[in-house]
Amino acid sequence: MRKIRVLYLLVMVPVVLAPLAAVAQPSGVPPTVKDKAQIEAAVAAQAAPTQQAKPAPAPPAAKKPAAKKAEVKRTEPIVPAYSGIREKMAVIVFYVWLWFSIAVLIYFLRLWIKEADRVYKAKYYEPEESPRKDNPMAPVLGD
Amino acid sequence: MKIDMKKLAAWFDDRLALTPIFKYMTKKEVPQHEHSFWYYTGSSILLFLFIQIVTGIMLALYYQPTLEGATDSIGRIMTELPLGWLIRSVHSWSSTFMIAFVMIHLLAIWFTKSYRKPREATWMTGMMLLVVSMVFGFTGYLLPWDDLSLSATKVGTNIPMAIPVVGKWVTQFLRGGGDVTGDTLTRFYLFHVCILPLVIFAILAVHILLVQKEGMSVPLKDEIAKKKVPALPFWPNFILREVVIWLVLLGVLLTISLAFAPSLELTADLMAPAPEGVKPEWYFLFLFQTLKIFPANMGPVTGEFVAVVLILIAVVAIFFLPFIDNKPEGKKGKLIQYLGVAGLIYAIVFSIWSLL
Amino acid sequence: MRIDNAYFTRRKFLNSILGGWLGAVAASFISPIVKFVWPPYKEPDEVKLVFADYSGMQPGEVKNFAWGSKPGLIKRAPDGSFIAWVGVCTHLDCNVAWLPDKKQFFCACHDGWYDENGTNVSGPPPKPLRRLESSVEGEDLFVRKPGVGAKT
Repeated sequence: MRKIRVLYLLVMVPVVLAPLAAVAQPSGVPPTVKDKAQIEAAVAAQAAPTQQAKPAPAPPAAKKPAAKKAEVKRTEPIVPAYSGIREKMAVIVFYVWLWFSIAVLIYFLRLWIKEADRVYKAKYYEPEESPRKDNPMAPVLGD
Repeated sequence: MKIDMKKLAAWFDDRLALTPIFKYMTKKEVPQHEHSFWYYTGSSILLFLFIQIVTGIMLALYYQPTLEGATDSIGRIMTELPLGWLIRSVHSWSSTFMIAFVMIHLLAIWFTKSYRKPREATWMTGMMLLVVSMVFGFTGYLLPWDDLSLSATKVGTNIPMAIPVVGKWVTQFLRGGGDVTGDTLTRFYLFHVCILPLVIFAILAVHILLVQKEGMSVPLKDEIAKKKVPALPFWPNFILREVVIWLVLLGVLLTISLAFAPSLELTADLMAPAPEGVKPEWYFLFLFQTLKIFPANMGPVTGEFVAVVLILIAVVAIFFLPFIDNKPEGKKGKLIQYLGVAGLIYAIVFSIWSLL
Repeated sequence: MRIDNAYFTRRKFLNSILGGWLGAVAASFISPIVKFVWPPYKEPDEVKLVFADYSGMQPGEVKNFAWGSKPGLIKRAPDGSFIAWVGVCTHLDCNVAWLPDKKQFFCACHDGWYDENGTNVSGPPPKPLRRLESSVEGEDLFVRKPGVGAKT
């Protein structure tokens, strides 16, 4: 009996957790305007490393504060959005997993409710007559 | 060393008196009738309150309640921290759900007249909880500190000014001065994360205690007919049904939060003109529209004053509703029933009107 | 114990003294708390602006300035003098905007309108915009609360 339980756990835990883990990783942070700008900047910096290395002899004193300000001040709202087929698929997978899990749990809960109602209607655990009247948890934890 | 679980359980039982609590829960019965469904709204509110506490604490780990840092810290939560956008989304949507369920809970009790004797105090603490929940929403709305939330807060905190003498004090207390500034933000944050939670727990404790003391109410007609309503034990039959509802609500909340995550506008500028389309949260819309339809001046007083006084009278009347509706089965009871329906229609129509 | 012809007993008398005293002590504790929670609110009596920033304005043009933590609006009159207002709607405290093409002040919160003299013309505002006095003194442009004279 115990062996079967362990085996059951070994199978079920990955089955339930795997989709969650798979989804959580790609959809960690949906790219935003800010992110996109950062990525573009990073790509631009990689594309033209030589030009970036040698700054043009522009008036540096005038430009520095402006650049600093641009860093601090955001000019566009941050709007979360899913981009790319991978993230959209991840969300759909998550939805399916979520509602499937809820359906499974509700299925088992219904069985439990039916049993509890049946036990109550049969007056099996009348507090006065119950063989375990000192343990009111018995209806639930009873084997 | 082998721990004897039975002995350990007995030790805790001895110290904490758990057996009487469980005994009470199995003995507690929940009546089953055609309106039983509304019993579940109460525990749904508790579910959303719990989610608010968890996500709220998570957001507070990174949020900075300062003029300079507020918006940017939320931007950081949304873009840099893992799943931060989702935490914020769940917090925002869960607040909406919680207030919606508080209102459904209230209306269900209004229409089934469950506030009648001896449950007047339960109703009154419930009304306090509604007001506290709405203040929670109002203070939380400012925290992102963007243009819309700033203007909405300016309008909201200016409304008490319509009342002579006292109003000015209330406004200055809310704003921490004459204007909405960084002090207001700090104050609202303090209310949102410290004072209001203390208040809501205190009132909630009394509310739940009163519900336990009086037991669940049965429909009015069954009470008059002295009919014995069939019932289910609270534990485990009723609580298992509650878990089913919780699971569904949790699924709906996650689905919506994932699909419609709130965005973050630009940092508010105290000197900039108000943006167009300043709107409070949805649960204030009908009050907002009510204020809007009153003319600037009505005889010797401002229209705003008249509107605020009318709203205050309505709130006080609803607070003392169990005493006004003291003969629920009579003609007056019927009239109050219709007034509730009229109020609901009014709130829905005005909310939609304000969005047009 | 009550003395003959007395209005109240000795216990009542002592209790009222004790209660009154406790009340006075509580009030002396509470008043500083109240004072702390309600901060002193001071609007500036006057603000000093650099005249050079505003000297180039055309008649009828409107510019912003900071009136404490509120926005202020300053307009050049046809005779070259300045007219200033607190740029806050008299309805519910939203900041107003100057719309140059309509020559009106506009509050977006509840659709309030003021004409170019700051008079409320339509919508919910109950009063005209609050007027401030202004004067040019040397290199400076002073904006003052009405009734507050020059400080020099």
